[in-house]
Amino acid sequence: MKQLTLKNIVLSLALSVFAAGAFSADKPLLESVHKDLGLTCKDCHSSKPFNEPPVTACFECHDTKELAKETADHPITNPHENRHFGTETNCNYCHHQHKESENYCGSCHLRFKLVTP
Amino acid sequence: MSKKNMQNQNESDLYTSHVLQNGISRRRFLTGAAASTGAVALTGGLASTAATAATKGSEYAMSSDGGASLEFMPKPKPIADKDIVSTQTFDVVVVGAGASGVPAALSAAENGANVAVLQKQAIVVSQGNTGSGLDLSKCDKAGVEALVNRLMADSAHRCHPDLVREWAYNSGEAVAWVIDRAKKGGAQVQNQYSKVQHGIRGLTEYKLNFHTSYFGPKPYTTGDGMRALAKYAEKQGVNFFFNMPAQQLIQDKSGNVIGVIAQSRDGKYHKYMAKKGVILSSGDYQNNKDMCNFFIPDLKNFERKQMDRTGDGFAMAYWAGGVIEPIGHTKMLHDFDAGPASMCDMPFLAVNRKGERFVNETTAMSLMNNYLRDEENAGHYSQVFDSEYMTRAKDWPGKLYDPEQIKIYMPEDPTPKKNVYPSQINTYKADTLEELAVKLECDPKIFTANVKRYNELCKKGQDDDFGKPVNKMAPLLKPPFYGIHRRMRISTLCSGMLVNKHHQALDADGKPIGGLFVIGNLGGGFYGGVDYPLTVFGLSLGRCYTFGYLTGKHVANL
Ligand SMILES: Cc1cc2nc3c(=O)[nH]c(=O)nc-3n(C[C@H](O)[C@H](O)[C@H](O)COP(=O)(O)OP(=O)(O)OC[C@H]3O[C@@H](n4cnc5c(N)ncnc54)[C@H](O)[C@@H]3O)c2cc1C
Ligand code: HEC
Ligand code: HEC
Ligand code: HEC
Ligand code: HEC
Repeated sequence: MKQLTLKNIVLSLALSVFAAGAFSADKPLLESVHKDLGLTCKDCHSSKPFNEPPVTACFECHDTKELAKETADHPITNPHENRHFGTETNCNYCHHQHKESENYCGSCHLRFKLVTP
Repeated sequence: MSKKNMQNQNESDLYTSHVLQNGISRRRFLTGAAASTGAVALTGGLASTAATAATKGSEYAMSSDGGASLEFMPKPKPIADKDIVSTQTFDVVVVGAGASGVPAALSAAENGANVAVLQKQAIVVSQGNTGSGLDLSKCDKAGVEALVNRLMADSAHRCHPDLVREWAYNSGEAVAWVIDRAKKGGAQVQNQYSKVQHGIRGLTEYKLNFHTSYFGPKPYTTGDGMRALAKYAEKQGVNFFFNMPAQQLIQDKSGNVIGVIAQSRDGKYHKYMAKKGVILSSGDYQNNKDMCNFFIPDLKNFERKQMDRTGDGFAMAYWAGGVIEPIGHTKMLHDFDAGPASMCDMPFLAVNRKGERFVNETTAMSLMNNYLRDEENAGHYSQVFDSEYMTRAKDWPGKLYDPEQIKIYMPEDPTPKKNVYPSQINTYKADTLEELAVKLECDPKIFTANVKRYNELCKKGQDDDFGKPVNKMAPLLKPPFYGIHRRMRISTLCSGMLVNKHHQALDADGKPIGGLFVIGNLGGGFYGGVDYPLTVFGLSLGRCYTFGYLTGKHVANL
């Protein structure tokens, strides 16, 4: 993974989404998004048996401060920066890899209808 | 504890002996196991069950009769020294950076200690706005004692009088200190003095005055305030370690607590040694479902207001020999945010989630949860009134928001949402009762039938159904109709570990555990009723600040 440049990755993401779109209109699970980007199991699961990896695995590639900036204008609320966890809400509370992601904030906040990739 | 010891116990300390007798502790289980061996001899056939209970008992905490193993408090797994990647030494280690932990850390530092704070979450986190203490310079002693007496009555006389007095005689100083230091950290805070303390009116003929810290207005909270206080504490030399949940306490051979093992997010372990003491301030256990169902079965169907409060401090203190207060812990369920807080206790018609009237509405909001414990209601009810409410309710206790002002609580209204939490407001207006029912998520048929019945009782001038006083019977006649849909959710739980006056944890023999102090909602003895009392507005945060302030000072000076 480390040898892929971000540009490559984004390009391959665009291609994979395009390709996937040809087969199914359903949203793919994140596992296939990451797989299509060239990630292997080891990029997140450093040792066997495979348990839920620590959130620091995500930080290897995703910059939380950058993410917070990217979604700062989110019309509902910024999922990547909030009063409970700052910019470091555990990604896995919302994003799941091998099952459907969830709207973690919606359980307490009326009208926080976030759609989580 | 033996009978002889019990008789020696000071009379005023019935609380402590009760908790020693009935609380949850390791020692208790050891005697419990011995007792159950006896039982095996009698019942024979149950031998194998008893044996598994005994082996289970070495892995899990046990209930006070030794009969149930508490799988929500597993025995900590030994962590080998080779798995510890760092070791640091401080005078004082504080576990949990919230409303009690941050003041404790700063107070210890101001008294010369070298302090570390281990925080589970990525930032300092706490909740609420108001925290109170007594301004002793403007109180009569008889007034203070009258309030102490009232607070004990509020707690069904099941709390520890010494701890209530600890708050009463030190809280003004502590709250004023928090305000001063938080301001230095840049907090948005003011002293509201006695202005908001409506609940004490008529309580005593003697003088009673308050320091009331208010971090606000919303959405600014004590969380923001404690972050500012932490910033100031950092300048005073306090070391904060974030994303660093404490996992286990380290004890020496004689059981004194001498440090903490914490785990960073990469799974690695870190040791924080404490020369003077460890102060546990990790809050309640509302997010530990099994633990809630055991200590407060009433909570089963309610939603939570906090996150990551899994009772870690309880497990750590228990395994270090501490005693948890017996089953029947005190809970706090409120909703001050769906509509105006000052209207929450006004006795408008109240209907449950279906739309049925269910209570004499003079019942305080803080007690409503007791009528709404079932799966369907799950804490939801609505206060409803008609467009004449400003005149119908003008003499009721509380403060009315007029039809213009109340718009900030209406998600459907375009008025800018100032001084509220936009995602928690839940007030509606409708031209018909059916339409209002739909907005309040009630069954329109049931709702309108109940309103009709209520209007008849209002007309009759006698509440045949619930006995509410006639001057509190306001009918719903003139549209538009209003509804405040409140959700009673768990704000906090406020029972905890047995401590003495210095907030030092006691073991099952009633002896202080060296080096272990417990504050905030993790500390026991301050409450005891079914629900947290609202006599003093901001008692909970006031107590957290006060005991943090006192304990930080005490431990630093050891
Ligand atoms: C929405 C809301 C409004 C409220 N309003 C008021 C009010 O106006 N007035 C009032 O008096 N009370 C109010 N309360 C109650 C009040 O907030 C609490 O009683 C108070 O915050 C408890 O303080 P604490 O220090 O015990 O715990 P907290 O403030 O909850 O702090 C505990 C801290 O410990 C950390 N922690 C947990 N486990 C670990 C671990 N293993 N290692 C390290 N750190 C750990 C947590 O991350 C947390 O930051 C309100 C509560 C809520 C939820
Ligand atoms: C982008 C990071 C990532 C990648 C790549 C990844 N996983 Fe996972 N895996 C996770 C996360 C996060 C979880 C926790 C549950 C979830 O989110 O679905 C998990 C959970 C699991 C679990 C279940 C463990 C449990 O207790 O829930 C298994 C098994 C697993 N992964 C196997 C794999 C295999 C096999 C691959 C490679 C084909 C893989 N994973 C690739 C992140 C990843
Ligand atoms: C080895 C690098 C790597 C790791 C590890 C990794 N990701 Fe990603 N992830 C990427 C790249 C590259 C993209 C595509 C570019 C982007 O959207 O940032 C991506 C995209 C995503 C997306 C956006 C998907 C979409 O449909 O828009 C999410 C969400 C995401 N990752 C979450 C996670 C989480 C959660 C983890 C940890 C469990 C994780 N990632 C671990 C590299 C990684
Ligand atoms: C509160 C739930 C939540 C958490 C926690 C969360 N995300 Fe997201 N994430 C979302 C939502 C919702 C979106 C879609 C945002 C949008 O619609 O623009 C998103 C989008 C993304 C994207 C796509 C970025 C883009 O610009 O569209 C990435 C990459 C991502 N998340 C990664 C992460 C990582 C890594 C973490 C942990 C550091 C994380 N997220 C934590 C909810 C969350
Ligand atoms: C367990 C319940 C709970 C969850 C889950 C939760 N919150 Fe909150 N949130 C609260 C409460 C209670 C308040 C009000 C007081 C406070 O600050 O604690 C609040 C306040 C807020 C506020 C300020 C008030 C407002 O209405 O704008 C924002 C923004 C917010 N939360 C964002 C989030 C985000 C983003 C998530 C998901 C990562 C989230 N919350 C998850 C309980 C929750």
